[in-house]
Amino acid sequence: MMQCIFLLSDSGEVMLEKQLTGHRVDRSICAWFWEQSIAQGDSFKFMPVIASPTHYIFQVFREGITFLACTQVEMPPLMATEFLCRVADVLSDYLGGLNEDLIKDNFVIVYELLDEMIDNGFPLTTEPNILREMIAPPNIVSKMLSVVTGTSSNVSNTLPVATASCVPWRKMDPKNTSNEVYVDLVEEMDAIISRDGTLVKCEIYGEVQVNSHLSGLPDLTLSFANASILNDVRFHPCVRLRPWESQQILSFVPPDGQFKLMSYRVKKLKNIPIYVKPQLSSDSGMCRISVLVGIKNDPRKPIDSITVEFQLPPCVLSANLTPNHGTVNILASKVLMFFDHTCSWSIGRLPKDKAPSLSGTLVLAAGLERLPVFPTFQVGFRVMGIALSGLQMDKLDFKNLPSRPYKGFRGLTRAGEYQVRS
Amino acid sequence: MFTQFGATAESLSKASTMVFRIGTDAHLYDDPDDVNIAPLLDSKFDSEKCEALKRLLALIAQGFDVSNFFPQVVKNVASQSIEVKKLVYLYLLHYAEKRPNEALLSINYFQKDLGDTNPLVRAWALRTMAGIRLHVIAPLVLVAVSKCARDPSVYVRKCAANALPKVHDLRLEENTAAIEELVGFLLNDNSPGVIGAAAAAFASVCPTNLSLIGRNYRRLCETLPDVEEWGQIVLIGILLRYAIARHGLVKESIMLSSRDLENIASENGASDTYQKGNEDSNAYFGLKESNADLTNGVCKSEVVDIVSRSYLEGPDKYLSKHRCADVLSSELEGLHFTSAKDNEDIKILLLCTSPLLWSHNSAVVLAAAGVHWIMAPKEDIQKIVKPLLFLMRSSNSSKYVVLCNIQVFSKAVPSLFAPHFEDFFMSPSDSYQVKALKLEILSTIATESSISSIFQEFQDYVKDPDRKFAADTVAAIGLCAQQFPKVANTCLEGLLALASHATDGEAIVLLQAIYSIKAIIGKDPSSNEKVIVHLIRSLESIRVPAARGMIIWMVGEYSDIGNVIPKVLPVVLKYLARCFTVEEVETKLQILNACGKVLLHSKEEELWAYRKVLSYMLDLARCDLNYDIRDRARFIKELLSCYIGSSDTEEGKAQQESRDVSRVLAGRIFGGQIKAPSSEQFSARFYLPGSLSHVVLHAAPGYEPLPRPCSLNFEDPSINSNIVEGAKRPGDGATQSESYTDDPDSVSGSLNEESTSDYSYADSIGGSDGTGGSNVSSSLSEVDVHKEPLIHLSEVGYPNANPDGGSHVDNQYSGSNNLGELISTRSLESWLDENPNSGHNLSEPSSIRKSSARISIGHIHGRVEPKICALLDPANGNGLSVDYAFSSELSSLSPLLVCLQVSFKNCSTEPMMNLQLVEDNKRQDSSDHASAMTESSSHGDVPSLVPMEEIANLGPSETINIMLQVRFRHHLLPLKLVLWCNGKTYPVKLRPDIGYFVRPLPMDIGVFSAKEAQLPGMFEYTRRCIFTDHIGELKKGDKPGTNDQFLVICECLAVKVLSNANFFLVSVDMPVSANLDDASGLRLRFSGELLSNSVPCLVTLVLEGTCFEPLNILVKVNCEETVFGLNLLNRIVNLLAEPARG
Repeated sequence: MMQCIFLLSDSGEVMLEKQLTGHRVDRSICAWFWEQSIAQGDSFKFMPVIASPTHYIFQVFREGITFLACTQVEMPPLMATEFLCRVADVLSDYLGGLNEDLIKDNFVIVYELLDEMIDNGFPLTTEPNILREMIAPPNIVSKMLSVVTGTSSNVSNTLPVATASCVPWRKMDPKNTSNEVYVDLVEEMDAIISRDGTLVKCEIYGEVQVNSHLSGLPDLTLSFANASILNDVRFHPCVRLRPWESQQILSFVPPDGQFKLMSYRVKKLKNIPIYVKPQLSSDSGMCRISVLVGIKNDPRKPIDSITVEFQLPPCVLSANLTPNHGTVNILASKVLMFFDHTCSWSIGRLPKDKAPSLSGTLVLAAGLERLPVFPTFQVGFRVMGIALSGLQMDKLDFKNLPSRPYKGFRGLTRAGEYQVRS
Repeated sequence: MFTQFGATAESLSKASTMVFRIGTDAHLYDDPDDVNIAPLLDSKFDSEKCEALKRLLALIAQGFDVSNFFPQVVKNVASQSIEVKKLVYLYLLHYAEKRPNEALLSINYFQKDLGDTNPLVRAWALRTMAGIRLHVIAPLVLVAVSKCARDPSVYVRKCAANALPKVHDLRLEENTAAIEELVGFLLNDNSPGVIGAAAAAFASVCPTNLSLIGRNYRRLCETLPDVEEWGQIVLIGILLRYAIARHGLVKESIMLSSRDLENIASENGASDTYQKGNEDSNAYFGLKESNADLTNGVCKSEVVDIVSRSYLEGPDKYLSKHRCADVLSSELEGLHFTSAKDNEDIKILLLCTSPLLWSHNSAVVLAAAGVHWIMAPKEDIQKIVKPLLFLMRSSNSSKYVVLCNIQVFSKAVPSLFAPHFEDFFMSPSDSYQVKALKLEILSTIATESSISSIFQEFQDYVKDPDRKFAADTVAAIGLCAQQFPKVANTCLEGLLALASHATDGEAIVLLQAIYSIKAIIGKDPSSNEKVIVHLIRSLESIRVPAARGMIIWMVGEYSDIGNVIPKVLPVVLKYLARCFTVEEVETKLQILNACGKVLLHSKEEELWAYRKVLSYMLDLARCDLNYDIRDRARFIKELLSCYIGSSDTEEGKAQQESRDVSRVLAGRIFGGQIKAPSSEQFSARFYLPGSLSHVVLHAAPGYEPLPRPCSLNFEDPSINSNIVEGAKRPGDGATQSESYTDDPDSVSGSLNEESTSDYSYADSIGGSDGTGGSNVSSSLSEVDVHKEPLIHLSEVGYPNANPDGGSHVDNQYSGSNNLGELISTRSLESWLDENPNSGHNLSEPSSIRKSSARISIGHIHGRVEPKICALLDPANGNGLSVDYAFSSELSSLSPLLVCLQVSFKNCSTEPMMNLQLVEDNKRQDSSDHASAMTESSSHGDVPSLVPMEEIANLGPSETINIMLQVRFRHHLLPLKLVLWCNGKTYPVKLRPDIGYFVRPLPMDIGVFSAKEAQLPGMFEYTRRCIFTDHIGELKKGDKPGTNDQFLVICECLAVKVLSNANFFLVSVDMPVSANLDDASGLRLRFSGELLSNSVPCLVTLVLEGTCFEPLNILVKVNCEETVFGLNLLNRIVNLLAEPARG
């Protein structure tokens, strides 16, 4: 079981330590960890499990914050990883983001949360809804109150009733003035387009996100018109598995508020909404680059937030890139101690009159005739109002509700790992 | 560089935060000590206390030690404000172990809180009280836990389950049985939330006591889907272990398929009814059926076999056995196995774990997949594939772990993942490790049909900016090309192009490319002549020494292949000769070798030219700076002398013969058929899927392989009826109170009933016999922690034997004057009485009825090291130093002989000859005479010294250890021996150590007490002494795990005794009434029996005094042999009193 949790800032400072068992872990292990990650670089930064001389370290890196958990004995590594991810999720939900200042400013809440989430190295309460009832999230009102009156308490003095119920994810008998439920299909499209322009792989990773504000203990049933296209699924604990096994129907008692009901995957899709055609040709120490972007299969909904990003190879000395639409930024992002030069071209919405293109030259390091490596272009876009996988919801039924609630459905598709090789 | 890229992300993020920090705790974190904290803590306002505590917490977060505020903070535990309470608890848990005395002050309040009406307060109190981890309060915590285990609130019961490992961690042996019983009780709970926590407690308290699971197995399986996710992870593993221990492996599963090679692919293809949406994968199966087993079948069965054995035995054990001899081959055959189709238990396990494959917690999915991998019939394994692949999308950190597991699955059964090769294509966010794993999996699962798409991908990867990854890709291309000869040509072309375009900075890619080419050519050299020629041509441009070396190796190896190579050879050799001097060492060596080979294979007409080149190069090499090269040159010159020097014709026949010999030899060395190293050595270690050990590739502490199949045998058919009974048994205190009436008689009656009717004890003892087999020997050499509970279970009846019935609460605390001051007996009593029905109905309270608790310190055997004495000083022995140490081994020849480890060390610079130890014959008679008087002389024919083998030669600074068996005629008088060395004799004296005239006599505490009672009066001898070693040990500070003072003292004492005498440590007892610093009443018991006549001999140490002062120890020996007993007593007293070494 986990013995200790550390939170490290992006400069390696230990912001928090929480000892979990009697076997204390000295914080010098963080110094060791940081030295190693500086010495070994990227490959170490992404190691989720590290065997240090004294402990096994599990690592999760989120938005500049490194979450470490230490143990000395055998335990399922995914349990630690998953738990740290859950901690990161809960914290960013509570604090409205994750960064060094937010954690330091709210360190008491972080401590209180950690104390509820894990006991003796074993996860205790991780359900966000219950945590919210036990420890109040910081909000403007409580902040102002504490400034004015000097008192504040974010610890609830009653045990959430849900801990005892058979639906531990739901508050008992919440009263909502609004009687409504929204179901969103949020999809991410992963695609690989190879150097010669062929579509190697295209699949959709989607989530059914539900935002429910219903009173009482409602029982919902959601069915799809074409559930057969789903390749694989994962469910929120509230989903009853038997109805799905037999009829592919989602039957559940929803938690209150926003939650992820289900995630799914649809494989082997054939149509991608936009194309990105990079061309690189290099000789005598220069490299000419041009990138064209346009619509490939019109989803009949506006595509916006289009971006194209790529990393300049380390052998590039300088770059001169100009777009005919949108803006280009070259950012030197510092991750740990390493600089990456990322060129990002944000296009936004495609113009009607012309096809956006980016062209320019790269100057290579001395002695290099040709560019030996080719960057991969990452494409971002967003299509509102449609789920590109083609998954369609059939109907949403209610039981155990006094009045018919308002129902809302939406679809949204974003680019996930959408990569174009050059 | 990059001067125009001015704006960094970092500087942007720094700019804008101050505004939002108003009203948060920011100022507390930034300047925690800018006000005086102490007065705030004493303030009467909760808000000020809160602020002070927050400041302390901030200091803890920043790594400062603020334990000096402990007394003031503890006072605030009584606060009514829930927030203050919470903060105090946070502080308390952080420092309680450091300040045990003050921590005790808080116990009273916890006990009060435990009776609070608010379940949250009860839960917090229990969690904090258990987290304080002090030996002295462990019994109180246990009582609290057993009360909370019956709490009406699920949350409190869950916290009770979580508290059990904390109590167990204190290693109070006395509590083990009670803790295990509580685990069993909580596993029986009717709330899934509690069951999850109870499963976690089971896994850390008594993971091998599977009979506890047997009671509830079916019910646990059925509630599994409702258990919360974290509990599921642990519970799945426990159920799997139980199923294997109870029923054995499933005969249709992968694990047992190695002897039964059926075509998995076709089976899968036929029965793949899992989901309708995968028409494509069916199509792939159709294509694959024909060739899957042709390409992968052989390696598959081999891997599966190793994997399944590794799971069962642990890879280290398996590999070590494997190396010695292949004795195992038939072992698996003998295992029992069962069928998933007939066995209801296995069926229900598989049925209830399969929906968990849809869990949103990746650890649950992996655990469930592990169960199916091991237990499911082969045709059903398909269902784990998609969930596992889906896991890779969940987070970057879990991706790596999942891939590690998929890697093994795919190695064992490539056809499982073959249709899904696209999922292993790289994505830009992958880390190097993930990419490397994906590459390996891709090259494992490639099939004839997928290889072309995979190659398309590989070609893209070669241009990846990460050159290390590109090099790995090149290696993977080589592997695939060897597997699929059809694509070998395309691969070669690609690799050649890569090799010729590689620039200087690309050494790593280039090297790998040449290496892959070499491997591909090696499969079929004759048809790849052009490639070799092409490579030879590119020698001019390739500058990486290792790559050049490989090409030159090919020149030598394939010099006689085809038509073109022999023609270009002379030019190549001349080129090599010309640049020989400027080459790197490794290239030079290869050039010499290659020349030798060429000469060997050359035809008559070119011989002369080659010979000239070679001798030129040998001349160069002879003057080389590097001696490896000079050596190689000499060697080749000798070996090929017949070729080089054949111009001389006047040599004799004898020389002609020796030439023939060297000709054959040279042929063997250079021309011998080189076997490609066997495809893959499976030195790879396999650990259970989803385990930490599997990711770090060594057995992490606490890793346990699967239990031996069918090691858990239930003789009694009552198990099924007990399941029914277990299900009926109510878990709530509310309903339970109905079954136990208020009548005190029935309370005590139910007490006995519980412990006698509890069949699990009998079962587990039987189980330990089955698995352990040699409990005695294992507890001697290395105590298996997990077996301990099993061994001690027999004592459960022991406390019940005390006839003090219901009034035990008073008895228990009447003597506890010290603790009584801190914890008012009244509050405890009133609290116990508050809910008498639920408080008394199990036997845990009775376990503290005894006035002492038992500490288990089984692990100290590693620290025991025997004392070494000098037999001969190097000053007296002309540089020969002889040391000896008494060994705990027993002589196989006669019980009268004592074993000694003698080490001879040569400290001089000259070698020594003919070392031997013999008896001093002159004195033999007189000592014999003396011994005849004292001893019963029934073994009189045993010599004083078993003749020792002569050490023929002892080189300078060499050390030789020898086991010597000696019979001492007297307990105290030294044995005189003669040491022969280099023909001289040295008289030496071997001093006996009475501590080794005994051998350990394992017994439990009950037997010990009985024996002790039989040896009263004149067989009992006592003396006192002062012991000081522990002070140094305590001052060394808190080592992890042993920072409890009592534990340190007991370990010190036990190690000291066991290092000087061959005893068995029976028990370590601690009085329950102990004050924190007061070690009085600590009691250690040792047992042994005399070597000569097996008379038992018991030693008891009782401590008096406080922890950091010298301790007064009362040593008591019980032994029938009066003289021996007294001598032993003196010896123990002396050794305890003498200060520690070093």
